[in-house]
Amino acid sequence: MNQTFRRTIFDACVFAYLIAFAFLVALRPDSDRLIENMTFYVSVTIGLAVMGGLFSLGLRQKSVITLGDIIYTPRYLQPKSTTPTPLYRTFWGAQLLATLVVTFVLGWVITDINPLRLLETEAITGAMRLFGEIATPDWSILPKATIKIIESIFIAFMATALSTPIAFVLSFLSARNIMGKAWLGSVVCGLLRIGFNLSRSIEPILWAIIFSVWVSFGPFAGMLALMVHSIASLAKQYSEIVEGVADGPIEGIEATGAGAVQVVWFAVVPQVVLPYISYTIYRWDTNLRMATILGFVGGGGIGTLLMEYQGQSRWPQVGTIIVVMAFVVWLMDAFSSHVRSAVK
Amino acid sequence: MREPLSQPVLSIKNLEKTYPNGVRALKGVSFNVHRGEFLVIIGLSGSGKSTLLRCVNRLHSPSSGEIVFHQRSTTSSTTSSTVSNTASIDIAQAKGREILEIRRHIAMIFQHFNLIERHSVLNNVLHGALGRTSALRSLLGLYSPAERAKALSYLELVGISDKSIHRASQLSGGQQQRVAIARALMQSPELLLADEPVASLDPATCHVVMDYLKKINRELNLTIICNLHFLSLVRQYADRVIALKAGELVYDGDPKQIDDAWFSRIYGESAKEVHIN
Repeated sequence: MNQTFRRTIFDACVFAYLIAFAFLVALRPDSDRLIENMTFYVSVTIGLAVMGGLFSLGLRQKSVITLGDIIYTPRYLQPKSTTPTPLYRTFWGAQLLATLVVTFVLGWVITDINPLRLLETEAITGAMRLFGEIATPDWSILPKATIKIIESIFIAFMATALSTPIAFVLSFLSARNIMGKAWLGSVVCGLLRIGFNLSRSIEPILWAIIFSVWVSFGPFAGMLALMVHSIASLAKQYSEIVEGVADGPIEGIEATGAGAVQVVWFAVVPQVVLPYISYTIYRWDTNLRMATILGFVGGGGIGTLLMEYQGQSRWPQVGTIIVVMAFVVWLMDAFSSHVRSAVK
Repeated sequence: MREPLSQPVLSIKNLEKTYPNGVRALKGVSFNVHRGEFLVIIGLSGSGKSTLLRCVNRLHSPSSGEIVFHQRSTTSSTTSSTVSNTASIDIAQAKGREILEIRRHIAMIFQHFNLIERHSVLNNVLHGALGRTSALRSLLGLYSPAERAKALSYLELVGISDKSIHRASQLSGGQQQRVAIARALMQSPELLLADEPVASLDPATCHVVMDYLKKINRELNLTIICNLHFLSLVRQYADRVIALKAGELVYDGDPKQIDDAWFSRIYGESAKEVHIN
């Protein structure tokens, strides 16, 4: 029943999408007209979806396999075809191909793709001039850039260092195998997971905007932004490691009469410590990449400098900053992968 | 053989265990375990042996029935063989901290040893003292010199004191099981549960480990309940044997009395006895 419901909803959406596309091609409304007549278009789409759903149910009566069946109905419940049919001659295959083609065409139009524009002479000269200036960096600002990249490195480091212990504690509280045994534990675990997903779905650059208003512009705001994001990301990754630990040592320690904290510390922690280190180093690496651009929204670090020069179209200085950033990020990346393979 | 008449350390009555998925692992099992006894439980895989042991130390919770633990009261003198004062507690009804308290007195060793592989051998033995050490002291590694000396003496008892600073993962299977025995002894338990202690060891090592279990059973007068696969080991080491079949007790008695007829009743008609030497 549930599967039938899901597959029908899915098919309804696909059919509505395909027919609505046909209308769009025929009528070619621009965005203004779309917005003006929003109610009309929305009701037409809903109507199409309802018709699509009915059509899909009709197909089910004739036991035609739709795309919804392929996705939502378990394989053993699907009628088996006796003869092998090529993909494009099955109903669901045609449906899939039509959807992909329509989506690609829509994508082409919406993203305003125009390859010819890359080749216009004027555009090419402009781009070449810009590349030329960036490619001749102004090394006189190197000391300034160095000081600012060091700031970025430390923003990333402090964000990682401060988020690690918090994420460490939270990771056990959000691991199902540790918390799932009791009713209260499951609730805490579930709430934490929802919290992590919410805060992870907000990009650090948005957090930086919030914190630059809260604590004013500067490295502190950038550090806080990365920290909030890191706590959620690390806690989620850590808790996945915790969920993968072997049960044997846990039983071994439990059998001695050890309490819950002791079981976690003696049976779980030794199993997770190496992957934890590895994820933490990788997080520092990722944070550094993000820290370099947080300056654009007031998060301090070398991004501040980059935004300044870019705003004044001082391309040789921008070139220097790009070189410094690339060098440090490359160095950090090499260091991080080396450490991560060493702790395996 | 000693007289098996001393008072029971464990009285199990009508023990039932049904798992959440509906599997009835134990269907009303009753028996007593006497103090100082080497009791072996045999049966096919899935007959409920492991479940039974895990109910005794409450790694699993029984669905119904009693597991009465006649615990030596701490105030009485602990000179063995005299009838000391005991306090009885129904393990099946225990909750929360009571379960931890019970586990302190009932040690367990496992088929896969379940040591903390990244810790040193000595630390693994010290884990046996976790139940009586406060969380803070244990997290900081503050074990008293007396505890350390005790841990070393148990390592000596199982013959691997020279390995005390090695990581547990560097030891062979048989050595790891001996460390697990030392960890269990570190609890100063009244009862030792052994869940297939030799099932993942080679035949030669297997006898070494069984000999150590027999030794601590005799020398420390420690009651042992041990799950085993091989009947030849059972005859050699057990004082008494219990057989489980599909969650029911089908044999309780002298290991020497298990003849071919009993063997096929326990293991099924088509089973053949395999000897391990």
